[in-house]
Amino acid sequence: MKSIWENYKTDAAYDELMYSEFQPRPVSQRLCQYLNTLKKTDFDQRKMAAELAIMEMGITFTVYSDEGNIDRAWPFDIIPRIIDVKEWQKIEQGLKQRLTALNCFISDVYANQEFIKAGKIPSETINSSKNFRPECVGMKPKHEVWANICGSDLVRDKDGVMYVLEDNLRVPSGVSYMLENRVITKRVFPELLQDINILPIDDYPTQLQDMLSSLAPHPVGKPQIVVLTPGIYNSAYFEHAYLAQQMGAQLVEGSDLVVKEDDCVYMKTIEGLEKIDVIYRRIDDDFLDPEVFRADSSLGVRGLMRAWKAGNVALANAPGAGVADDKVVYAYVPEMIRYFLNEEPILPNVPTYLCSIPEDMEYVLDNLAKLVVKPANESGGYGMLVGPHATAKEVAEFKKIIKANPRNYIGQPTLAISTAPTLCKGKLEPRHIDLRPFILQGEHTFVTAGGLTRVALKKGSLVVNSSQGGGSKDTWIINMEEN
Amino acid sequence: MLSRSAERLYWLARYMERTENTAKLVSVHMNLLMDLPKDVGMGWQQLISINGQSSAFNDQTKLANERNVTRFLLADTSHSGSLISSLNAARENIRTTRELLPDEAWQQVNEMYLFAKNNLDSLTNRSHRVHFLNEILKGCQGFNGLLSSYMSHHHPYRFIRLGKNIERADMTSRILDLASLLLSETRSANLRQYETLLWMNILSSLNALLMYRQHVRSRIDGDDVLNFLLLDKKLPRSIGCCLIEIYDCINELPNNDSLPSKTAELQAYVEAIDTHQTTQLQLRMILDELQNQLNELHQQIVSNWFLKITPQ
Repeated sequence: MKSIWENYKTDAAYDELMYSEFQPRPVSQRLCQYLNTLKKTDFDQRKMAAELAIMEMGITFTVYSDEGNIDRAWPFDIIPRIIDVKEWQKIEQGLKQRLTALNCFISDVYANQEFIKAGKIPSETINSSKNFRPECVGMKPKHEVWANICGSDLVRDKDGVMYVLEDNLRVPSGVSYMLENRVITKRVFPELLQDINILPIDDYPTQLQDMLSSLAPHPVGKPQIVVLTPGIYNSAYFEHAYLAQQMGAQLVEGSDLVVKEDDCVYMKTIEGLEKIDVIYRRIDDDFLDPEVFRADSSLGVRGLMRAWKAGNVALANAPGAGVADDKVVYAYVPEMIRYFLNEEPILPNVPTYLCSIPEDMEYVLDNLAKLVVKPANESGGYGMLVGPHATAKEVAEFKKIIKANPRNYIGQPTLAISTAPTLCKGKLEPRHIDLRPFILQGEHTFVTAGGLTRVALKKGSLVVNSSQGGGSKDTWIINMEEN
Repeated sequence: MLSRSAERLYWLARYMERTENTAKLVSVHMNLLMDLPKDVGMGWQQLISINGQSSAFNDQTKLANERNVTRFLLADTSHSGSLISSLNAARENIRTTRELLPDEAWQQVNEMYLFAKNNLDSLTNRSHRVHFLNEILKGCQGFNGLLSSYMSHHHPYRFIRLGKNIERADMTSRILDLASLLLSETRSANLRQYETLLWMNILSSLNALLMYRQHVRSRIDGDDVLNFLLLDKKLPRSIGCCLIEIYDCINELPNNDSLPSKTAELQAYVEAIDTHQTTQLQLRMILDELQNQLNELHQQIVSNWFLKITPQ
């Protein structure tokens, strides 16, 4: 019988589980031992069991297309991605450090702007950021934390080093898939999970609830927390409903809420109006309040910003937090850590060339075929150019786009991001992956044990976004010493 | 509890009940037609008239045969009264209220929907259809069962019970309306010959045959059956029993305003019906009025709890 590992080529990238076709890394030894006891047909069966569970549990995401919105089943690879707890502890520290510095930075941007005055970042960069909200100047959210929920994307280069690729500080999504992936793995490999010491992840909803409670503006017994969703047509609606359910919070839409003359937020219930203390909002700033931001928004709540500024309701993440979720601002995060915390960054940034700086732009234009170029404010992997995979024509066109709006583009070297064995047509093949841990910051700071591993299912592809053919894996942080 | 959530749970329950009723009706009717000789004048047309769907059906198809009628009632996605449309609407409502319900409830409805969607094409085949309807009925029973054993009996559960019983009372009244035709003085001699069979069929479609035998303990007789299905206070699908459930839910909900007295009036109206003294024509008028009143009750529930928008 041919091995499931046949011709497993780890190529130039770092493989998370394997040194080579036959040699597992220490973290994956137990997994590989177990996988070798399975027959090829077992893999197909387990894969089918996982797919069935996903369909029945209704784990979906919505894709916008010309034919309308389609709910797609969440593509899931049954082979987990594994990280040693010792390495993880360092990453966890790095993530906490990073979010703390980012929150200091955002507080500073909306207060005295010492960081700008010290010449650490051009004021131009802040003022031209789409997500800088002048309306927020002078605000002081509780604990002086603006970004309460952060999803940072990590990638490992061929040298084995984990880099932070970006910090998502607006409305990061994916955590429900992280949780559901574990539920599915428990169904698919029940024997295996018993044997290996994997850190649990299912306390996230409780941690989220605690964090949100710590934001309540006035001390009350149990603050009334709601999850504000743009509604059923949003691609992450499943997650909004899931988190509300897990926290026992109400899932509300803008039309369920009203701000009265007392500048307090109420929800419309069968018993009349009920006051709200904390809103976990999953709506972008732009649509939050038609009174202040986009007037045509029907998703938000008129007067919400008034209520927030009056200190009657907490919004997580705070409006304006997105100013640090900008790929140009990203380049300055290591400096923020040094400036605000007086520490050296634990996790490195990917070297970044800012097209707003003339020398950098020149370098980017000259080396476009080697670089990845991204717009400063897009998410979902849209509007970017992967140089090595682009045609000469695409490269030429992108040059024009960059020259027209240099502030909006950054260039980064194309990393050989790491791979992990992924089940492809009955065989294991290396596929590129990244990792999105979730960090919560309120009164305390919390990092998920692992995060959501996203995998580019197409051979050779580096794009892991679910909207563009990406899937996901369960992520195991394992403690080998206690095994 | 959010008004919007209350509304969605109410509709979730109505659509699930409608799904079950549709499956049950088609299933029982299919059995009946297998028993009856062809010349009795009982066919597939009757099923469509029960739900007042004749005009929608006639717009589409001409021939009321088994194939067309079952497709229309079960599989037609463009017809809002079909089983698949009800199930789809139930799924949309539960998808938007998942945070209030046990996980299993969502999974149950989702699985049923996926099963139905994947089997729509095979329904022209009778044995496939029998299997399909059994699966749907099992699914609906499972749904009701897990809600009653997993959910606390608070407001969300009350709105579910409320929706379920309003839909149920409405369906029972429609079936009785059709049954009243059997009392017509002008019915054919041929039809009279099979009357018992037809009344048994009415009872089965409301899952009431066994209970009728146990509690009425007489041979199956039209007046007794009508009496049982209208007035019995212990039979889950009788109008009387549905109204008791509706009253209980309404009474325990906040801001119920004039709804309890309105429901009590409706109960008194039903209790005053004497099936032994009414002609077929009178009965039809009574049932018509009952449906109107149920609809008024529904409207008042909507304005009382779902549309409550307090001025800013």
